[in-house]
Formats: sequence, structure tokens, C-alpha cells
Amino acid sequence: MEFISYLTPMFFALVGFGVVVGIIFGAIPGMTATMAVAVCLPMTYGLDLTNGLALLLGLYVGGISGGLVPAVLLNIPGTPSSITTTFDGYPMTQKGEGERALKTGITSSLFGGLFSAIVLFFFAPSLADVAIKFSYVEKFLIILFALTVIASLSRNLLLGIFSGVLGVWFSLIGSYDISSGGNGEYRLMTDAMVPYLESGFSLLPVLIGLFGLGTILQEAQKGIKEEVGKGKKLELNGGTSFSLSVFKGQIVNLIRSSGLGTFVGMLPGVGGSAASVLAYTQQKNFSKHPEKLGKGAPEGVIASESSNNGLTGGALIPLLSLGIPGDSTTAVLIGAFTLQGIQLGPLFIGNNLDTWNTMMVALVFANLVMFVVMFFAIRTIVKVITIPKYLLYPGIIMMCVVGAYAINFGIMFDVWTLLFFGLFGFLGQKVGLEVAPFIIGFILGKQAEVYFVKSLESFGTLTIFFTKSPIAMVLWVLILISVVFSIYGMIKQKKNNNNKEA
Amino acid sequence: MADGNSLFKVSIDFSQSHLFFPNIIHWILLILAVLIALTSGPKLLRQMREKKKDDKQTGAPTDWVRLLGTLVLTIIYFSLMETVGDLFPNTGFGFLFTSIPFMFLLSVLFVHQPGRREFVTITLSSIISPAVAWYVLAQMFNITLP
Repeated sequence: MEFISYLTPMFFALVGFGVVVGIIFGAIPGMTATMAVAVCLPMTYGLDLTNGLALLLGLYVGGISGGLVPAVLLNIPGTPSSITTTFDGYPMTQKGEGERALKTGITSSLFGGLFSAIVLFFFAPSLADVAIKFSYVEKFLIILFALTVIASLSRNLLLGIFSGVLGVWFSLIGSYDISSGGNGEYRLMTDAMVPYLESGFSLLPVLIGLFGLGTILQEAQKGIKEEVGKGKKLELNGGTSFSLSVFKGQIVNLIRSSGLGTFVGMLPGVGGSAASVLAYTQQKNFSKHPEKLGKGAPEGVIASESSNNGLTGGALIPLLSLGIPGDSTTAVLIGAFTLQGIQLGPLFIGNNLDTWNTMMVALVFANLVMFVVMFFAIRTIVKVITIPKYLLYPGIIMMCVVGAYAINFGIMFDVWTLLFFGLFGFLGQKVGLEVAPFIIGFILGKQAEVYFVKSLESFGTLTIFFTKSPIAMVLWVLILISVVFSIYGMIKQKKNNNNKEA
Repeated sequence: MADGNSLFKVSIDFSQSHLFFPNIIHWILLILAVLIALTSGPKLLRQMREKKKDDKQTGAPTDWVRLLGTLVLTIIYFSLMETVGDLFPNTGFGFLFTSIPFMFLLSVLFVHQPGRREFVTITLSSIISPAVAWYVLAQMFNITLP
């Protein structure tokens, strides 16, 4: 129980601060939990690991939860994962039940968050125990699986895979690292670039560029429109007020949606919108009154919000037990761990038991703070989303710069990396490339190379990837399933499109 | 390994091993690019031809002033930051002194209905936020700033 000594008042204050900032980020349309974590990373440079993680986990939970505020009140999802909250939340607001919808959503979020934290607590260590026996072959296959899953959820399968592989390509720039068994030679660049790119692009400037600057460029192109106009009045009251009786008969819904959220979160690279869409459609299938969904039924809000908070714990499972991020926000968290000199992977939990325990405390506490803050201060938060964007966005660019510059103790090249990837993210999305597969490819590319090449160097044959162990074969089956599933989805989509055109 | 698996046999020359994986990636990228061109190419061409005819109907128009303005300001901001920072080494003043005008100009570029009130808030925010960021990060946490 040594970890209790880490639980200082500072620790709890940081979690609370993170949650509040996260809620604000999540509540402002166009800004996501990922952005909140990326922009606030520089604050953790001066903190130790425990306190840094406290802040980041608070931001994560707050950021995912805050998205429900504009979803309910303005019909604009604050984060992609609250898209389905708009389906029923906004009709409820139109009926004058805004506050009821918000509080239903907040309570569901709390349930989903705690549910997934429990799953994380029991599941991650056992998954890590399995993963500890993995050789390079299995590790490579896991990365391949992560990449196929994420590609299968892209809008266009081929472009999704292309984005992922392109991410891998960018990660290979630099030297073939000697410390991981390479020969230290440079590749994919000219001699002039060697002083800057000796060890490749740093992860954080790339992330901050894609998620921070890239998003702002997109908004700038649209002309920085203020969604929350002065004319629009936010009506909260009237109609039925909130009481816990909303949840009567919804226990199954709560558990199923939280479970689905947690499960989708575990799949590497799959974002929050997939989780809430899945939970929402399932609720519609099982509901006693499916016709009411989409017209202001609290059960829709419950399904959507419990699943997207279920995601938080789920996404941390592959991160902490395999070192593979479950979504783009946890991808940024990888950066925070690297910063503190901690290698994520199967050994992490066993070697850092105190950190693991404090993380769990932070996660549970963050969910409780989120609930209390949002439940009792909802009116104040509603006002916050009216901060004009023309004040907000310049400040975000400023924080992006700090984050990129300070990460390697003051290298201006990282700031230019930020600009380059901001532009790249902006232009790339114009031609259909997708950020999420790109990031996962970028994070995992270097490891994939080492595992792949080392496997071949030691076994000398390609068949080893199939015959190494039963686990390898199971992984191939999983890869096959995700590929078949995505091709099936693509054909189905095409049929739908053809029907629409006809 | 004389079991008929010679087809799958791979040997990697260590001195060239840094190029082995990148080469595979290049081939995959190339094949994917060809596949993408084959599957979505014809459709894209058709769309482009149609787009020329009714360009104005598709989606929201690009706000070129704000987009290019953001880019130009950001590039100037980044380049000046280092130059100014070199005048006051290790103080973070380069960051502080360039952030204030940058934030002010960008806010002015973004605001839609400029009025007296807006200018006051913009001025205040563009002075206070960099100052707070600079004080908290550079002074309290000793983080390196330009």
C-alpha cells in the first residue's frame, strides 16, 4: 500500500483541475479531449509521473464527458463521441427538458466511467501477463492487427490503410536505432537533414500539429463561425425535472452500453464515435419503444453517454498492457509516458505497481469529480461554451508552440515539425487521408520494423509468422476477421450508395 | 530448413538491414496508391468535371482570408520567436514578446463583428494569456521557452 504516500492534496487538486479544463474543452464544439490532453502536456513537463498522469487522466475523463453539453443544448456534438447524444438530447431540450437531459447524461457518464475503470483494473494485468510471453513475432502481429482494425473503420478502406502505412513511413525517417538492434544507418532522408532528424520526428510535435494546429486551420477555412450566437438563448428549465427514476428499467441498457464502450475502447485505434453509435443502435434494437428513440427518449442519452465514458477505461487497457493506444487521446498519453522515461508494455504494470494504483485512483476520482462538477455547476459550464473562438484559438496555437518547443528542451525544429504536420493534417484530410490511422501507424511503425526484421533475422523464413505459436494463429484469425468485416462493410455501403443514386 | 519452404526463405544482410523494411513499405504504398487510383480515380475525374460547372453549390466556401492569414501569421510568429529569443537568451522573452502581437493579430483576424468591446477583450486576452503561460511555465516550472 505504499502508493498511498503518492496521494497528496496536490494529486487530487490536479485531477480536479484536469477534469474542469477537460470539461471546458469537451464542451466547446470543435475541441476534443485529444486536443485538451495535447495542449496541456507542457504543464506536465514540470510535474513528476504521478502528478502528471493525474492531470492528464482528469483531462481525458473531463474531455470525453464535456461533449454532452453542446450535444444536448445546441445539437452540436462537442466531441465526436457524443454524436448520438444529439439524437435524443436535443429533442429533449426542445421539449424544455434540457436540464433533465444533461443530468441523465452526466449520471450515465459516471456509471460508464466507473464500469470501465473496474474492467480496466481486473483485465489489464491479466492481459499483460499473457502478453509478457509474446516474442517479436506475436508483437508484430498485434501491431498488424491494430492497423487492420483501424483501417477497417475508416470511411474508405483503401485510403484508411494508405494513411496508416504512410504513418509507418514517416516513423521510419531517421536512423535505424542501434539500441533496438538496428545498424544505425540513416534512411529516407538527405544528408542535410541528418542534424535535425537523426532520431526521426518527435511524437508530440506531430500529434500536437495534427490535432491542434490542423483542427484550427480547418476552422479557419470555415471562417471561425461562432456556433453559440448571442441571439440563441440556452433554455434549461421547464418540463419534467430530473430524478433518478429516469433510470428505472434502464439498468440493462446502462450495463450493455458501458460494456460495449469498454469493449470498443479496447480495440486498438478505434475512436469514441464507433462506441456510442454501436451502443445506440443496440439500444434501439432492444428497446421496448424503439419508435421513441430519436425523439427525445432519455434511454438514448443513457446509451450514448454511458458508452462513450466506458471508452475511457477500455482504451487504457491495450495502452497499459500492450503499449498500443486504444484511441487518439491515449496515443497522446503515450507521449506523456515517454516523456517521463517510462516504456509502456506488458512489463509496465508489474514494474510500476505504485503508478498503476495511483492511476486507478486518479481515474475513479476523475469520474467522481466530473459528476459533482457537472451535476452541480452545469449552469456555469453552459456559460463557458459561449467563450468566443476568436479569443480561444490563438491561445491554443500558443500552447501548441510551448508544447512542441519544450518537449526536447528547446529545439526550434520541433516547432517547424508542428507547423508541417498541422498543414499535412489539414491538406491530407482534404484528399481523404485520415488522421487516426496515420497516428497509430506513426506510433507503432518503428516497433513494427524492429519486430518484423528481427523475426526474419532469427528465423530466416516468412512462414514463422504463421507457425510460431497458437497465439500467432489466433492473431491471424483476428486479422482475417477484421479484414473480411471491413470488406463486407464496404460492399454494403456501396450497395446503399447505388440504391440512393438509382 | 530443407523442407520445401525455400520459397519463403529470407536472409537479411545486416549492413543493409536499415533499408529492408522501408523498401517493403514503399512497395505497399505504391500498390495501395495504384489501387486507390483504379477504384476512386474515374469517380474523382467525373466529380472534378462536374464541380467546374457548379462550383458554388458544393458545401461551405473556403474563407481564404482567414485561412491564409492564419498560416502567414503562424509562420512569421515561429520565425520571429527564435530571432527575438536570441536577443534575450534563456529568459523565454522571445516567446512572451512575440506571442502578444501574434495573439492580438490572430484574434482580430478571426473576430466577426469588431466593436469597442471586442477590442478591449482581445487586447486584454492577448496580453494576459501569454503572460500567464510564460510566468507559470518558464518561471514556476522552469520549462525552456524560446
